[in-house]
Amino acid sequence: MPESNVVIDTRPLWRILLSRSRPLALLLSGVAIYWWVRSLDTPPGLGEEGQKALAVFALCIFYWVFDVLPLMITSLLAIVLLPMTDVLSSKEAYARFGNEAVFFILGAFILAAAMMKSGLSARLALTILRRFGHRPVTLLRAIFVLNGIMSFFMSEHAVAAMTFPIILEIIVALQAAEGRGNYARALLIAMAWGTTIGGVATLLGGARAPLALGILKEVTGTSYSFSEWAAANIPFSLLLFGAGWVILRFFFPFDLHDVSAAEQAVHDRLLRIGRMTLQEWLIALVMIATVAAWIFLGEEFGLASIALSAVITLFALRVVRWRDVEGYVNWGLILMYGGAITLGSVLNSTGAAAWLAENTLAQWATGPVTIVLFISFAAILITEGMSNSATVAVLMPVAIAVAAQFDIDPRLIAPVVAVPAGLSFILPIGTPANAIAYSSGFLRVRDLILPGLLLQITALGLFNVLVWWYWPLVGLTP
Amino acid sequence: MNAMFENPGLLKLDLAIRGARLGEDFGKRQEIFRVPTLLDHAGRTLEVILPEDVFVNVPVGERFTRESPYLLRTNGDGFAVWNGEKRCDVRVVPQPDFYTRSTRSGLPMWQVGTAYGGYLAINPATGCAFTRDRTACRFCDVPTRVGERAAPLSVADVVETVRDAFAEGIIEFVYFHIGYMEGDDAGILFLEPYVRAIKRHFDTLVAVQLQPPRSNEWIDRTYAMGVDALSYSIEIHDADLLQLHCPGRTEHVGRDRYYDALGHAATVFPSGTVWSDLIVGLEPAESTMAGIDALVAMGALPVLSVFRPLDNTPLSDHPLPSADDVVPIFAHLFHAVHKSRINMHWVRDLSFAVTPLEARFFADEEIRTNAGLSQFYRSRLGTIAARNLSRLRRRLRVRQVSDSFDSSHL
Repeated sequence: MPESNVVIDTRPLWRILLSRSRPLALLLSGVAIYWWVRSLDTPPGLGEEGQKALAVFALCIFYWVFDVLPLMITSLLAIVLLPMTDVLSSKEAYARFGNEAVFFILGAFILAAAMMKSGLSARLALTILRRFGHRPVTLLRAIFVLNGIMSFFMSEHAVAAMTFPIILEIIVALQAAEGRGNYARALLIAMAWGTTIGGVATLLGGARAPLALGILKEVTGTSYSFSEWAAANIPFSLLLFGAGWVILRFFFPFDLHDVSAAEQAVHDRLLRIGRMTLQEWLIALVMIATVAAWIFLGEEFGLASIALSAVITLFALRVVRWRDVEGYVNWGLILMYGGAITLGSVLNSTGAAAWLAENTLAQWATGPVTIVLFISFAAILITEGMSNSATVAVLMPVAIAVAAQFDIDPRLIAPVVAVPAGLSFILPIGTPANAIAYSSGFLRVRDLILPGLLLQITALGLFNVLVWWYWPLVGLTP
Repeated sequence: MNAMFENPGLLKLDLAIRGARLGEDFGKRQEIFRVPTLLDHAGRTLEVILPEDVFVNVPVGERFTRESPYLLRTNGDGFAVWNGEKRCDVRVVPQPDFYTRSTRSGLPMWQVGTAYGGYLAINPATGCAFTRDRTACRFCDVPTRVGERAAPLSVADVVETVRDAFAEGIIEFVYFHIGYMEGDDAGILFLEPYVRAIKRHFDTLVAVQLQPPRSNEWIDRTYAMGVDALSYSIEIHDADLLQLHCPGRTEHVGRDRYYDALGHAATVFPSGTVWSDLIVGLEPAESTMAGIDALVAMGALPVLSVFRPLDNTPLSDHPLPSADDVVPIFAHLFHAVHKSRINMHWVRDLSFAVTPLEARFFADEEIRTNAGLSQFYRSRLGTIAARNLSRLRRRLRVRQVSDSFDSSHL
C-alpha cells in the first residue's frame, strides 16, 4: 500500500469549489469588516485614532477566530496597519518586539528545548512512573500529576509531546486498548488534563501568561514576579487536580487490574536511555538555578534576563547546540507576541479599549465580582475555539479597561484572563494537549465532551471562589 | 465493398482487419519512411487518416495483408486507398522528422517514442513481466519483434524526445504504456518520475496504460501525480478465453481485479478518461458486447481493437474476423456509450482501435449528428480548455493528508 498521503475528494465539484473558496471569502470578509468599522461615524467617546485602532482590532479578531491567516501573521498585520493608518509611528510599533515578555518566553522555549533534546525530561518522567506506577490507580495518578508538575516548569505543549509516546507505549504494552478500554482513555485524558491544569500554575506552563503580563506592563507599567504568580495560581491548580481526579475516576472506571506490562515497558525505556549523562546533569543544574533565580531574584533582575542568562550559560557550557534547539522554539508565537502587545497597548492609549469596555462588559456587570466572572467566563469559553494566546490578546485590552472603570486593580486582570484562557478540556481543538491525546485514535469526541464540560464548570467556579477568598491572602486585593 | 468507402468507420474497420498492399510508387515517398527499420521495430503498419479525421493504423507488411483487396498508392501529391473500383483519398502520416534525431545520450528518438494519431506513445520499461514469466498474451508480438530493452529509458531522454515531438507540432498529448510489472503498484511508482517530468516541462495531458494495481489507493495516487487518462485493458471479457489467450493477466492480476480497478478509476478520473481495450474477433460477438456493457455500467469507456493474426505469435493462423461479423459490435459500442452519457470525446484518434466516437459511423444517422462536439475538442480552444480544466479538477479533488495536519496546527 502506498503511504496514505493522498485522498481523492469525490464530492461534487461545485461543493469543493465552495469550500476551497472559504479562505478567500474569509480574507475578504475581514477586509470588509475593517473598512466597515472605519467608515462608521465616530461614536461619542471614541476618537478617530481609537476608531482606527478598533478597526484593526476587529480585523485581527476575525482572522484569529476563523484562522484565516496563521496567528502570528495576523499579529504582524496589526503591526503593519497601525503605522500605516497613523495610529502610531513605525518606530513605536516595532519597538514592542523588544518587550521583556518576548524574550522571557524565548528563553523559556530554549530551556525546555534543551531538556527535551537531552532526554532529561523523558528521564524524569520515566523515573517517576517507575517509582509510582505499580498499580493501575497509582500509574494513572502518576501520569496525571507528573504531566501537571512538569507543566509548572515547561510549556504544556512540550510536556504533552514528550509524555505522549511514553503513554502510547504503556497502552500498547497493557493492551489496554483491546475493546477500546476505559483505562487507555483515562491515561490519555490524564495526560491532557494534567498538562493543562499544571500549565496555568506558573509563568512557564504556556505562552499566554507572559503575554498577559507583557500587555499588562505595556499598558499599566505593573507586572508580577515569578513567585507572586505561582503563589496566586498553584493552589488553584492543586484544587483542580483534585476535582479532575474525581471526574476522571468517575467517567473512566478501570477495566484492568494489572499494570506489570507497563512497568516492564517503562523499565525497558529507562534501560534504553542508560545512565544520566554529563550533559543532562549540567542542564538539570542550570534549570534548578534558573527557577531559583526566578523565585528569589526575579524582581531584581527581571525574568527575561534570568532566562536569557540561563540560555547563554547552556551554550557557554556547550551542552546544547543551536541546531538542536531551534526546531523546538515556537518562533511563530514570538512573532505573535510583538503584534499582540502592540495592539493591546494601542487600544489602551487611544481609548478604544475603554470605549469598548464601556459599551460591552461594563453594560452587563454590576460590580467587581460579576466583572471577574464575565471575564473569566469569556476567556474559558473563547479558548475552546481559539488559541490561548489569541484569547489573551483579544481579552486583555478590554478587560484592563473594564477593570479601570470598576476600580479593580488592573494587576488582577492578567491572571483573571490568562488562567481561564489556559483551561480547555472539552474539545480536541481546544488545546494542543487535547489534540495530541485525541490524535492517538483511542479517544472519541464524546470521551472529552461531558467530563471536560464538568471539569470546565468546576474550574470556573473554583477560580472565581479563589479570586475572592484566597487571592487577598497573597496580596492580590481586587 | 464500395459501401465501405462511403463510411469512414466501416473503411477503418476493414482496413484494420485486412490491411493494405503498398503501391510500387510508395517507395519513392521518402518522407513516409524516414527510418525504414522502424517498420520492423514498431510494427509493419502505416498511420493513415481517412475522411472525417478518422485515424487508422493499417497493417501493410504482414502475411495476411498480401491478400488484401486494398491498395495504398500515391495520388498526385497525396494518397489514396484503392479497391480496384473505387478510390478514397486519404492522408498518410509520414514518420516524424524527430525520428531521424538522437537524444543527447545518443539514443535514437524513434526508440524512445512513437507518434500515433495525435499522441506520442512511450514505453519506458525494459519489457513485460508476462513475457519473462512465459505467460505473454498469445496475440502479442512485442516480445519477438522488439525484445527486452537493456535498461529503462532515462527521464531525460523521454523529456527530450517529447520536446522535439511537440516542437514539430504533430502531437497533442503523451501516452505512457507499460506491460506487467510485479509489485502492488503494478508499475505506477516506475512511471511516476516520467509523468511528473512531462507535467513539469510541458502543458499537456498525459495518458497511461498499465495493468491494475493490487489496491485502489494506487489508482488515487495515479490521478494525484498528474495522469489525466487511464487504461487497464481487459482485452477479453469471457473468463475462459481470457485465461486461454492471456494467461498472465489471469494468473497475476485476475479478471475481477480489472473490473474493480476500472470501476474505482471511473470514480476518480473525469468522465470518459478511463478506458479499456477489448479485442474483437477472439471471442463471440455476444461476449464482447457483454464486456462493453460491463465496462459502461461502471463508467469506463470500452475501446475496440480488431484482432490481427500477427506473424511470430501463437495466433498467427487464427482466422480473421470479417467486417460483417463485427459491425454489430461497433454499433452496440456506440449505442451503449451514448446511452450511458459517458463523455466520448476525450479518448480519440486511437489508430489501433475504434473508439466509441468513431463507432458513431455504425449508428443511426440521427444519433450520429450529435457528435458535433468533437470539432470543439480538437480545436485549439478545446485543447487549452481541456488542459486547464484537468488541472483545476485535480487541484480541487486531490487532498494531501499532510495539508490537513498543517491546517490543524498539529
